[in-house]
Amino acid sequence: MTAVTATTDVARNPYAEPAAVHPVRFLHALNPIAKLAAPLPVMVALLFTRGVAIPLAFVALTLVLLLVGARLSGRVLAILLVGLPVGVLVLGVTFGVWVDPSRIDTASAAASVVLVEVGGWQLTLAAYLVGLATALRIAALLVLSLIAGLTTTGPELVRALVQNLRVPYRLGYTALAALRFVPRFGHELEVIRAAHRVRGTDGGRGPLAAVRRTISYAIPLLASAIRHAERVALAMDARAFGAHPTRTERTISRWRTRDTLFVAAFWITAVAIYVAAFAAGA
Amino acid sequence: MTAAPLLELDAVRIRYDGSARATPDGVSLDIRAGEVVLVLGPSGCGKSTLALALDGLVPHAVAAALEGSVRVAGADTRDRTVAELSEHVAMVFQDPDAQVVTGTLLDEVAFGPENRLVAADEVLERAERALKLVGLWDRRADNPDVLSGGGRQRLAIACALALASPVLVLDEPTANLDPAGIDEVYAVLRELANERDHAIVLVEHNLDAAVDLVDRVIVLDAAGRLVIDGPVRDVLQGRAGELLELGVWLPVSTLAAMRLRSAGVMLDPLPLTPAELAAALEAVESLPSPAPVAARAAATTLRAADPAVAAPAAAITVRDCSVQRGGRRGPIVVDGVDLDVASGDFLAIVGTNGAGKTTLLQAIAGVIPPPRGSVDVLGMDPARADARDRARRIGFVFQNPEHQFVAHTVAEELEASLRLQGVPEPERRDEVERILRRFDLVEHRDRHPFLLSGGQKRRLSVGTALVAGAPVLALDEPTFGQDRARAAELLDLLRALNDEGTTVLVVTHDLQLVADYADRVAVIQGGRVLGSGATDEVLAGPLIEAAGLRHPPLARATRGLVRHPEWQSVTRMSQLPTAGRAAA
Repeated sequence: MTAVTATTDVARNPYAEPAAVHPVRFLHALNPIAKLAAPLPVMVALLFTRGVAIPLAFVALTLVLLLVGARLSGRVLAILLVGLPVGVLVLGVTFGVWVDPSRIDTASAAASVVLVEVGGWQLTLAAYLVGLATALRIAALLVLSLIAGLTTTGPELVRALVQNLRVPYRLGYTALAALRFVPRFGHELEVIRAAHRVRGTDGGRGPLAAVRRTISYAIPLLASAIRHAERVALAMDARAFGAHPTRTERTISRWRTRDTLFVAAFWITAVAIYVAAFAAGA
Repeated sequence: MTAAPLLELDAVRIRYDGSARATPDGVSLDIRAGEVVLVLGPSGCGKSTLALALDGLVPHAVAAALEGSVRVAGADTRDRTVAELSEHVAMVFQDPDAQVVTGTLLDEVAFGPENRLVAADEVLERAERALKLVGLWDRRADNPDVLSGGGRQRLAIACALALASPVLVLDEPTANLDPAGIDEVYAVLRELANERDHAIVLVEHNLDAAVDLVDRVIVLDAAGRLVIDGPVRDVLQGRAGELLELGVWLPVSTLAAMRLRSAGVMLDPLPLTPAELAAALEAVESLPSPAPVAARAAATTLRAADPAVAAPAAAITVRDCSVQRGGRRGPIVVDGVDLDVASGDFLAIVGTNGAGKTTLLQAIAGVIPPPRGSVDVLGMDPARADARDRARRIGFVFQNPEHQFVAHTVAEELEASLRLQGVPEPERRDEVERILRRFDLVEHRDRHPFLLSGGQKRRLSVGTALVAGAPVLALDEPTFGQDRARAAELLDLLRALNDEGTTVLVVTHDLQLVADYADRVAVIQGGRVLGSGATDEVLAGPLIEAAGLRHPPLARATRGLVRHPEWQSVTRMSQLPTAGRAAA
């Protein structure tokens, strides 16, 4: 989930404290742990779920939560409302093509509905539905992770982990410092590739040349990464990092009633969805 | 100054694991409240290592053995943790990028006191005081990434101040900065030095910026032994010759005065700053006329952006070149540049950080995808040529030489460039041998390029760029992060190559080096060429200031001379009359 935070926010400032948001955007005001704890059991359950209905219900539920409770940029809105459905439909076909025909119940009505036929090969509605279910499960996992991913900053998450979950602060703050390395190394890799292009060693096609290239990029990148990490470590040591078992927290991360309510409500809804779906025979 | 010393060093020897000798070697000294101490010494004398020992990073965090003792506020550093010692000694390091831990300026400054369990409201108080002192309080909510290098280094100073330690140690704090950044940092340090609340220990090779704020100078020799310890003026003025012999760089103004002495112009006492040099020159009734700029530079005609005049000798022709970074909506970094470089020129491209000078150089050398407009290097479009053709015409040396090493030994590194050209085996061997000798790398031929010293790496990277026979050499910030001695060594090499006929382009912001070595200067700002011309004309004119740069120290001293108007255009050391010339 931190990966999602990193990739969506790196373009902006991944560390900035959130600007004041309208109270209706309640997700921003929740404890990050609550935003992780609520969807987590559902995400596990989804891994073992078949069918279209349940993942679809969770995608819909989460989208509503995000649209109401999170401040979303135009780009994110477009991705969620247009990109996501299109992605699911396309992925559904792709997965449907690769579905093992023996897994499809040939007796069902859908198995006799042929959507596409090329030569002797058929894509049946049943196969497409299996593919669609898989695509929807992936979509559901993605949007569930966005509940925390789109509404939490890195420092908020670290604070909550350290203060509420008692994760050692040395771990949390070192991870936060390491997050700063990512764009730096990306930039450095670009320079190294340009430098090797100049030396004319980027030639050759095929997997072997690619492996050789990767190794030749890795050496200078590693050398500079280790040097950089050592320097950052010295700078942190010089500023008393790790001096005491705890450190002063200027911002207190609280677990409030609303966090408990949110998690409870989410879990109850999730159970209700599963119960309703099984009752309907899904 | 009668109170107990804050730092007491007794016979300190530090040997890195795997290193044969100890540097520093037997250093004893005391540092008291309110002192501003400058540590000098040639490269490799251990002055940065000494700085790391002052707050216990040596021996606690760095793999090195410490002999003798370092006592901080009376306690041996071996018996205290680095965290405890941070209460007494705060550090600022060289690399502004490698000191940022958190996401906002305020969090960054609060980081140290928070680690020390200072109460939250006092943390905020200290952070506010420190950020206000370095002039960054208004930007407290910003991400440190958006600050300039100078800004980030000021932030590092604020972080050190927030620890409320009585000693502040700065290890080459301006080595990675452009002139504007250096000025910013020294403005802050000057204020701190005047307040006398802190003892300041400064390791610095940029003496021109540091000299007017220090009280005391400590000098280590190449072996790491303490050879001089005394008040700044006694040391720099009284023992200048001795310092030069030790391989320590002096302020440019002092060096200039020493050169004038040899021509019979006695400036006494030796000036330390451009202002003092100017005053001393004004006080002299008559000066010998300055030496003419070397004839070769004068012969280099200036071809202003007039394609019709572009002589057949043009090595590089750039027309209306624009580069946009990061796709269609990205910023325009190079904007409609016209530039001509004649064959055999030594051209410096100067500008502040972010002015677009590196991108322009990369566009010229074909390092980045094709720019808009046209670039011609000896009849080739570098963006469309393949690596082999490019390497035959223009060699490019990256800022960090490690980035372009591709082989496992020095000799293979050179051979790789020749193999790309399809040179047959026996010739390859001879050519590698020739380059190894030319760049003084023969004894290192079988070492891994990454294990060379900084200067050797730099020489090897120049060698790999030239081994294919390129008549044009382009270097990106070749002196970045190096001390003056090493920078001068490299530029002497470039000068020699240039004398042999190689066209040299360098991107740099070290204007004294530009003044001393380049024939021509192109001044860049906001992606555009503000102007270009012969070095002395550009340095005497208004372009430097228009680009947000500062004149190099010698030019600063001579520009305003009233009594000796013929000296106003003296910008390079070689223009100063020497013994031989004055007699003639």
